[in-house]
Amino acid sequence: MTMHPRAADFPQSDLPGVIPHESELTAGVRIEPGRSYGFFTDTTVCIGCKACEVACKEWNNLPADNLGLTGHSYDNTGALSANTWRHVAFVETSGCGGVRDTVEAPFQSGWLMMSDVCKHCHNAPCLEACPTGALFKTEFDTVVVQQDICNGCGYCVPACPFGVVDVSPVDGKAHKCTLCYDRLKGGLEPACAKACPTDSIQFGELSVLQARAEERVAVLHERGVPGAYLYGTPGAPGATGDLGHLNAFFLLTARPEVYNLPAAPTRPANRVAPSLASGLAAVAGLAVAAAFLLGASDRRRS
Amino acid sequence: MPVREGVVTIVQESRFQLVGDDGSAHLFILGRNAAGEADQLAPLQRRQARVRVEYARTRNLIGFVAEKISVCGESGR
Ligand code: SF4
Ligand code: SF4
Repeated sequence: MTMHPRAADFPQSDLPGVIPHESELTAGVRIEPGRSYGFFTDTTVCIGCKACEVACKEWNNLPADNLGLTGHSYDNTGALSANTWRHVAFVETSGCGGVRDTVEAPFQSGWLMMSDVCKHCHNAPCLEACPTGALFKTEFDTVVVQQDICNGCGYCVPACPFGVVDVSPVDGKAHKCTLCYDRLKGGLEPACAKACPTDSIQFGELSVLQARAEERVAVLHERGVPGAYLYGTPGAPGATGDLGHLNAFFLLTARPEVYNLPAAPTRPANRVAPSLASGLAAVAGLAVAAAFLLGASDRRRS
Repeated sequence: MPVREGVVTIVQESRFQLVGDDGSAHLFILGRNAAGEADQLAPLQRRQARVRVEYARTRNLIGFVAEKISVCGESGR
């Protein structure tokens, strides 16, 4: 990426305050309400440093959790939770049974690393399930939980097809990535994207990111990575079952399940009408059967 | 119940950082039974208020659960 011309205006180390529209300098995008923003996570350049996890915890003042060792590769975070809003997955692919091999082809690695996060779904199932309206779409087209409105009912938890949102037993409220809503309002790039040293996490306007991601897939195909594909862009895997598209989408090189992502996530709201219809049909069927049996016993008595 | 006094320096949702007189910083989460709401924390941070926090320990988390917060010199809430 070339240096933004405005960067030359701020050569000093000590700044008097926040640089106006700082994201223009760090991510090449000006953040304006009414536009659609998201993350493009290119897993092929993730080095598993976990700077994103740390930056997220630092900015959002989230406590360290899951203390101890999981025994799962270098991943001691485990999963996304109420206190962990970025999770770097380590997948060891070579060798039998997923165990790391001691021999690799030159310049190749048996590791797949992916920084997982809330997908900020276009048709967000968590938001649709929330009875209080605590989950809402922001002016930046992201999905956020309003803490003062959340009553901790937990309906959003099973509604999320990606297992992202979680209710904390400590404060009894639902928590998840806010795509740094407070930073966006201040013109700052989200903390994880800003911290990522390899630009595996890219923040920007969604249409720009989607075009950039298509180009990256083409480049990888040319370079001999035929398995590279996008997950969560319109019409791609991950954007299935009426979810529309995912504002946080990924470039993957193995099946989604390898990264613990669903192959074909769906919107639970699609199942409301069929379940209601089958419930009503079952009640009607039972009523007919009861009427028939009671009628038969009445006929026998008379 | 253990008690810690200090200044609220960071607030995010129901989480806040309290810096004590010895300069040590601790992370607290407003407990579900605390008689207060998360939006009452931000004004404390803006005022750099000195507060007294009664807290409990948590399992599997590096942080404490704030059960009662009182502004030093004012009655508890
Ligand atoms: S990934 Fe889950 S928590 Fe995030 S917006 Fe989609 S449904 Fe909601
Ligand atoms: S900061 Fe970037 S490179 Fe490091 S783990 Fe996160 S996504 Fe991967």
